[in-house]
Amino acid sequence: MDGREALRMAVRSLLGHRLRSVLTVVGVVIGVAAVITFVTFGASLKADVVGQIDSSTANNIYLISAPGGDEGFPESPQPVFTEHDISEIGGLEGARAVVPQGTVSVTAVSSGNDTVARSRVTVTTPDAFDGADVVEGRGFTSGTDELVINGYARSLFEEPLGVGDAVAVRRGPNETVNATVVGVVNSTASQLPFQSFAEEPRFYLPTDPHYDAVVESPALGVNQRAYPQVTVVADPSRLTATKEAVGSYLDESDAASLKPATYELSARTGGDIADRIESLIDRLTRFVTGLALVSLVVGAVGIANIMLVSVTERTREIGIMKAAGARNRDVLLLFLVESAILGAVGSLVALPIGVAGGWVAAEYADIGLTLVPFWFGVAVLTGILVGVLAGLYPAWRAARVDPIEALRRE
Amino acid sequence: MTDDTEGETEQTVVSLERVTKTYDLGGTVEALSDVSLALSEGSYTAVMGPSGSGKSTLLNLIGGLDTPTSGTVRVGRNDLTALSENERADIRGSEVGFVFQTFNLMPRLTAVENVALPLVFAGVPRAERRERAESLLEDVGLSDRLDHKPTELSGGQRQRVAVARALAPEPAVLLADEPTGNVDTDTGERVMRLLGDLNDSGNTILLVTHEKRIAEHADRTVRMLDGEIVEEET
Repeated sequence: MDGREALRMAVRSLLGHRLRSVLTVVGVVIGVAAVITFVTFGASLKADVVGQIDSSTANNIYLISAPGGDEGFPESPQPVFTEHDISEIGGLEGARAVVPQGTVSVTAVSSGNDTVARSRVTVTTPDAFDGADVVEGRGFTSGTDELVINGYARSLFEEPLGVGDAVAVRRGPNETVNATVVGVVNSTASQLPFQSFAEEPRFYLPTDPHYDAVVESPALGVNQRAYPQVTVVADPSRLTATKEAVGSYLDESDAASLKPATYELSARTGGDIADRIESLIDRLTRFVTGLALVSLVVGAVGIANIMLVSVTERTREIGIMKAAGARNRDVLLLFLVESAILGAVGSLVALPIGVAGGWVAAEYADIGLTLVPFWFGVAVLTGILVGVLAGLYPAWRAARVDPIEALRRE
Repeated sequence: MTDDTEGETEQTVVSLERVTKTYDLGGTVEALSDVSLALSEGSYTAVMGPSGSGKSTLLNLIGGLDTPTSGTVRVGRNDLTALSENERADIRGSEVGFVFQTFNLMPRLTAVENVALPLVFAGVPRAERRERAESLLEDVGLSDRLDHKPTELSGGQRQRVAVARALAPEPAVLLADEPTGNVDTDTGERVMRLLGDLNDSGNTILLVTHEKRIAEHADRTVRMLDGEIVEEET
C-alpha cells in the first residue's frame, strides 16, 4: 500500500468520527498555540527592549562594580570610581566623554506651594546631556544650581514644570537648594539601559557642587568625589578597543582598590547589556514555553488515548484488512498516518491562533509584534511529531492484531 | 476468472500433507491431527462437521491466516509453511479469497471500495481497481449498488459484495466459511447458486458448513470430527 492510499483511508476513518477527531485535535491546538503565543511574545519583548537599548546607548560603555560571579544587575552600586579614575579614563584613546553619575539623598522637591516627596535626585556632569534627548531648554552648567528634569518629573506637579521655574530641593531639615529648571529631557535619557524598564521621575543636578560622597584617592592620596556609576561615551569606530583600554585601566584604578574584595569591576557596552537582557528574556521565554509544552504533552496523551480506543473498536476491520492481504506494516502505517494527521491539523489550526495570541499579548504589553517564522516551523513540526509519537504504540498494537481473533469478534 | 480446465490435467491448487495444528490453551488442544487433503483446480469441495471439529482451523491454514504445527500447506505454487508473515499476507491478498458467515465488510467503505480492498494492498492503481471492482459487482448482480455502504445493503447483497471481494485478486481458491449462516433460506439458496455458477466458470471452491443441505451443492464432501477427516464422499 502506498502512502497516498494510506492517507486517503486515514482521512476517511477520521471523518467517520468527526466530533471525536475534532476534540482530539483541540488538545494539540491548545498546546501548539500556547507555545507559539509565548515564543512570539518573548521575541516581541526582546526586540522591543533591545531596540530601545541599541538606539540610545550603542556606543556607551558602562562601568559597573558588582558582586563577583553574580549574573544579575547591581542593586546598590558602591561609590568606587574617583575623580582621578574619571580623568584617567577620559585621557584614553577613543573615550569622547566620561560621565559619572550618583545620587544624593533629599526629602522633597517643591515648586511654589506644591511639594512632592522624593528620596533621591540624580547628580551628573553636563556631558550627560550631550546628544541626549533634550526636548526643551538645555543641559545644566557645572557649579550652578541649575536643574534638569525628565518628562515624567515635570508632570509630578499640579502645575507642570517648565524651563525657568524655580524648584526647591530639600536636602535635609536645614538645607534647601533653590534650583532653576533649565532643561527637560525625555524620560529614558542618561539612564543605564537596565533602568529604562521602569520609567520614573528624575531630577538632575550638577555634581559640582551638589555631590558629597568623598573618599581618599589611593593613587593621589587626596580626598575626591567618588561615584557609583560611570558611563564612557566612546568613538563609535573604536568601541571595542576603547572598551578593552577601559577594562585594562580598571585593573589598576582607584576603583579596584576601593571596591569590596568580592566585587568585580566590569566595562560593558550597551550591546553587552543588550545581550544579557536578551539572554534573560530568552531564559524566561524558554521557561514559559516549557510550561506550554506540558499542555502539548496533554494533547499527545489525548491522541494516544483516542487512537487506542480506535484500535480496539476497529479490531475487526484490522482483521478484514489482514485477510485481504494487508501486511502488518500497512496496518501500522494506516494508524500512524491517522495520528500524524491529528497532530498536523492541530498544529496548522494552532498557528494562526498562536500568532493572534502573541499579538494580543504584545498589544496588552504595548510593544511591537515580532514574528519568528522559524519557531512557527518548529511548532508545527513538533505537533506532527507529537501525533506520530502518540500514535506509535496504538499503531503497533493495531499491527499486531491476530486476524483470526479479530475476525471471530462480533 | 480462470478457464475451465477440469477434465484435462487434474492440477492440484491446494494441498495439505499430514497437517497437525495444536493450540496451547492451558493444556495442549489438537485442532487438526495428521490431516491430508488435496483440492484440484476447478473443484467444489464442502467440509462438514460440528463446531470444534477443526474445519475453521483447516480454512485458516489454507487461507494463510495461521501456520500448522507440523506438515505442509500448499496453495498454488506456494508452500505456506515456508513463507514469512509478510509473504503470507501477500498470499492472502492474491491466492485466496475469503467469504465469511458475517460478511466482514469494511463499514465505512462503499461496495466498490470493499471489493477493491485486496487490490489496494496488492498495489493495483486506483482506476484499474475501480474498473475491476465494478465488473465483479456486475457479475454478482449488484451493478446498481456500487456506491452503497454495507448498512444500505441487505444481507444477501452484502454477501454478494463479499463474494465479489473474494474474487477480486483472481485467487487460486475461494474459501467460504458458512456463507449462508447469516441470511434467510431463500437468500442462502441464491448465495449457493452464485457459488455454483462461479464453480461452473472454473473457480476452485472450498466450502465449510455444518448443514448437509448446503454441503450438497458441492461435488465432494469431506466430513470432519475431532480434528480428523473421517469420511469422504464424491
